[in-house]
Amino acid sequence: MDVLEAIKSRRSIRHYKADPVDDEAVNTVLEAAHWAPSWGNAQCWRFIVVRDLKIKGEVADTLLKVKVDNEWVENAAARSVKHAPVLIVLCAELGKAGFGSDGTPVTDKGDYWFMFDVALAMENLVLAAHSLGLGTVIVGGFDAGKVAQILEVPAGFTVVTMTPLGFPDHKGQVSPRKELSEVIYKTKYGK
Amino acid sequence: MELYEAIKSRRSIRRYTSDPVDDKKVEAILEAGRWAPSWANTQCWRFIVIRDPEIKAKVADTLTKIKLPDKVVDNPGAAAIKTVPVVIVVCAEIGKSGSKPGPGGGGEYVTDKGDWFMFDTALAVQNMVLAAHALGLGTVIIGAFDAVQAEKVLGVPEGYRVVILFPVGVPAQEGKAPLRKELSEITVRDRWGK
Repeated sequence: MDVLEAIKSRRSIRHYKADPVDDEAVNTVLEAAHWAPSWGNAQCWRFIVVRDLKIKGEVADTLLKVKVDNEWVENAAARSVKHAPVLIVLCAELGKAGFGSDGTPVTDKGDYWFMFDVALAMENLVLAAHSLGLGTVIVGGFDAGKVAQILEVPAGFTVVTMTPLGFPDHKGQVSPRKELSEVIYKTKYGK
Repeated sequence: MELYEAIKSRRSIRRYTSDPVDDKKVEAILEAGRWAPSWANTQCWRFIVIRDPEIKAKVADTLTKIKLPDKVVDNPGAAAIKTVPVVIVVCAEIGKSGSKPGPGGGGEYVTDKGDWFMFDTALAVQNMVLAAHALGLGTVIIGAFDAVQAEKVLGVPEGYRVVILFPVGVPAQEGKAPLRKELSEITVRDRWGK
């Protein structure tokens, strides 16, 4: 699939078929993620590929509930995590991205550069999945501490984000985008 | 260009020609950024397109110098910014991404990561560097600079932060692929350490 076509036609998918996704496809999307650039080539990302139904269920339960009509209901993504055959969890090694060779933070963003680098990898991952006909939805609203416990993520690493990976059971909605003119300025802000 | 090919063949480019880059290509790159997903579709990103040589030079001066054992040298990104015709600066509106939705945007963060603006802007940036590469243009993502000073130079209002910037130009070199860790070094199945 053409790059611009993939970028524009990718959608967040929340309903999945139970059809299996083979290891080759999983490796292809991980390989794509891994080709992202990173701060000082630190590659702080780590991937956990979860196929185990019980573990997927436990992770799904850490997703933050959503308030609809004054009632707390399950996040739609929790069902996605349970239904899709594969869940990919992205972790980051702390103290790498955003740090100089002397181990001190280089910018006023401190160590939050792990968020940036993991997202570069995640974008490659979701685009590669889409070009294989697979759906994803990037999930960030969950109890990361709890997920780290379930997945036995060691100290020095943090769980950042996750996505189900599976065959879409619906087309996915286009979320309306701001007009380019609303988000772009020439040379100085507001100009 | 085919997506997978683009992902694998994109390189960080540090040397450029001064050949012009037309607005149509710049727009295609920005358009790719705009189509990234974001926290509850908050689209916290804002893009500043710089063509003015004087402003480019002022921005280049904010880059963090590199300390070598015996001397301090300019970041190679600084020369790149001065050479290329276009620099794209990516800013973020604070208090949107990672927040509970609500009137006025909420502002109450729901995860231990606080504001997710670093994450969402990176999703857009990856789309942009891939799109640029597909158009035959080089980029290099720069994060090591004095963001507060860049915000002053660019007149970025309160409530917004400058996150990264990247030159856009015609490559004067073939970029090198830095060694990647093996997939097996960074991937585990089901649980860590298995």
